[in-house]
Amino acid sequence: MGSFLVRNGLILALLVLVPTFVGEFWAYQLGLYFLYALAAMGVGLTWGQAGILPLGQGMFVALSAYTAAYGLSGIGTSPLAFVVIPAAALGVALFGFLFSTVVFRGHSDRGPSFSLITLALTLAAFQIATTWSSVTGGFNGLRNIPGLPGLDGFLDLYYLIAVVLGLSIAFVDYLLRAPLGALWRAIADNERRLAFLGYDVAALKAVAFAVACWLAGLAGALYAPQQNLVTPDLAGFAFSGDLVIFAAVGGRATVLGPVIGAIVVGVLSAELRDRFPWWEIVIALFFIVVVLRLPGGLMTLFAPLERLRLARGQTPRASRAPDKPRAAAPLSVGFEDVRVRMGDVTILDGLSVKTGDEAVLCLIGPNGAGKTSALNVMTGALPKRGGRILIDGVDVLRPEPAAVARSGVGRKFQTPSVFPKLTIDENLAIALWSGRWRGFDLLRPSLFGWTTPLLDEMRRRFGFLGSGGKAASDLSHGERQILELTMALITEPRLLLLDEPCAGLSHEETAQVIDAIQWARQSLNLRIIIIEHDMELVRRLADRVVVLHQGRFLADGSVEEVQGNPDVRAVYVGGSR
Amino acid sequence: MESLLVTQAINVVYEVLILAVLVLGLAVVMGLLNVLNIAHGEFVMLGAYTAYTVQKAGFPYLAAVPAAAVVCGVIGLLVERFLIRPLRYDPFETLLATWGLGLLLRKLVELVFGRGFRSVDIPIGGSVSIFGEAYPTYRLVLMAIAVVVVVALFVWYARAATGARIRAMVGNPVLAEAVGIRTRQLARNTFVAGTAWAGIAGVMIAPLTPVEPFMGLTLIVNSFFALVVGGMGTVTGLFAGSTIIGGLQSVLSASVSPTTAYLAMLILSILFLWQRPRGLFPRP
Repeated sequence: MGSFLVRNGLILALLVLVPTFVGEFWAYQLGLYFLYALAAMGVGLTWGQAGILPLGQGMFVALSAYTAAYGLSGIGTSPLAFVVIPAAALGVALFGFLFSTVVFRGHSDRGPSFSLITLALTLAAFQIATTWSSVTGGFNGLRNIPGLPGLDGFLDLYYLIAVVLGLSIAFVDYLLRAPLGALWRAIADNERRLAFLGYDVAALKAVAFAVACWLAGLAGALYAPQQNLVTPDLAGFAFSGDLVIFAAVGGRATVLGPVIGAIVVGVLSAELRDRFPWWEIVIALFFIVVVLRLPGGLMTLFAPLERLRLARGQTPRASRAPDKPRAAAPLSVGFEDVRVRMGDVTILDGLSVKTGDEAVLCLIGPNGAGKTSALNVMTGALPKRGGRILIDGVDVLRPEPAAVARSGVGRKFQTPSVFPKLTIDENLAIALWSGRWRGFDLLRPSLFGWTTPLLDEMRRRFGFLGSGGKAASDLSHGERQILELTMALITEPRLLLLDEPCAGLSHEETAQVIDAIQWARQSLNLRIIIIEHDMELVRRLADRVVVLHQGRFLADGSVEEVQGNPDVRAVYVGGSR
Repeated sequence: MESLLVTQAINVVYEVLILAVLVLGLAVVMGLLNVLNIAHGEFVMLGAYTAYTVQKAGFPYLAAVPAAAVVCGVIGLLVERFLIRPLRYDPFETLLATWGLGLLLRKLVELVFGRGFRSVDIPIGGSVSIFGEAYPTYRLVLMAIAVVVVVALFVWYARAATGARIRAMVGNPVLAEAVGIRTRQLARNTFVAGTAWAGIAGVMIAPLTPVEPFMGLTLIVNSFFALVVGGMGTVTGLFAGSTIIGGLQSVLSASVSPTTAYLAMLILSILFLWQRPRGLFPRP
């Protein structure tokens, strides 16, 4: 906390002191670039953190600017004028939140379709702003917008803008260090994993976008009194593109990158555009270089400074995480005549199977039997074409990954699915928060210190989980398997789905994992469904074995019973039934 | 009145076919290779400037066709080598890189030719009488060329061995490589073919539109959204998208206003991007 205040206090002081160094004219100019910086910071936040590239932030700037123009003209010199600025920004943020919720809800594809929608929207906004003259003033825009009361001097508004920018930098800095920031980075890293941990990914993305729109809104609302003029150019696709370029050139992954990008590109453009016609080509080339080689942008130059950062590597104090409200009994699952098809291929062909009293159920069957697909359809990763899936006796019509996870299902995938760019600690923390955070918890950095007896035990069993600052991508395959298993376990599920949990593990690791699974089963009162090929493992773990074949139930029983079953033998060994 | 209606109908067909010609190169690059080449309009613009230069130099207009193909093909080759391939043909990354490329090409052309409009003389003057209404010959010629080209492409893609190789590469690049298809060269050639065709399309439309550095922007918007609506990677999708977007634009522009037409196209595209991002007839 101390370092946070020092850092952002320094930035704010620097911004306020600028006019003493550069003089009034440049301070006025800088005021405009600070507004661009505000909007670019929003692009950096959604793109650099959550991985969502907005190509139409200019529309939100314009929307807020037109709103503020009307508000300021209507209110005149009353102090109420100061309410117009946050009100316009808030309106835009709300609009952004609703719009993005609608778009994100039910669409988890990470393709460019959201970016293109925002691009199409800003093209439409530009067209409307130019043609709807009675409201927007058409091509020439709205003129003679009054300034803010009491801020008449050349410099007065500069100070307001500098303070708003300084506070916004601190605000974004705080968000990115809060659990919310880690969740945004997790979206960019592995959206599916986050959903399977029970997070509402669409809402998290919409919050990120709303913050970006709030920043764009502030920029627009202050643009109106700063320029005394609002034209459709703000909604033009060139301006939205510039914002992306500012964020990229400065460094989209950092708080200050987009700010520096906007100021550097802005100032240099103003200085060089007329004297040096090649200038914009230089910008375009640099942008291409950033895309190709330098994702960190200009901020890469400052990377060595990271070492000087105050309180680096400081870990939050450990505290006991709140208990997860959890029904005592293990979760039961029933499949009734479930059918799944993909194109012409039948994947599940009327699968009917139900969990019973057993704690560990092993699902076996030859390749293509539909084992993983059964887990997929139950957790909402595959659509079903017919039949019923009962979770805790309730018929779930359209299972959704996050909802199924929240009802108490933890899942470990066949190939380890973790957040590769996040640290081990962050991976574990995100799993731990799931279902435990309440209200505004996601804004409290102390959540990084949360731990549970279960997590402590797993850390004791698997030493590498203790080296928390390491990125998950630096782990070996086996370690990633164990990390994901731990993440699934510490959500304290009532049903744990393990898809070949020991694939690719060394002999020792396999023994350790089996040991951990045995221990979890005794101490957690949960049900475990394991897909496994290794009969040795099945023998050691299974209370009951279910055999699938060609998308249908074939046989079940104890390991010996199944092994003695002639149908099962026929499937595995071939031969006649 | 009837004859007016006929002219209107021909105009709609003309708009659709011209859009199909413009979309064609993008359909190759974006639909087959998944490269979101947002600078595609700039290649058309370069083709148009090539046509202008060739005409100014006193050469016959037909000479502009190979010239534009070479100019845009060579630039396409460089872009593929230094931009698209290093980004591994990733849709998102190439969208960003070509965004910068578009900026670059616009500024370069602005630097060389200036910002003003250039006009290219129509190479085939005169008009043909259709049901008593005069219709410009050049437009009819263009329509004929468009039909021939698109149909030829359709047949070629369905029958020729290269078409099969491209389909194999798009469907499963690793397997295609394994059965001896040189996917790297094939992808490069496909990309270059797309940009070269954009140049030729630029030559075709240059006499009918003001030639200026920013002309690519409006062209890319229409072409892009035609593909979004029609679906990527299929010839049916190309036809469907061009017909819907081109038809909608043309009919609404004539009956209501160009602004309404433009907004309607954007709204339709947003609906598609949101609810059916793969379009009407996507590649299976």
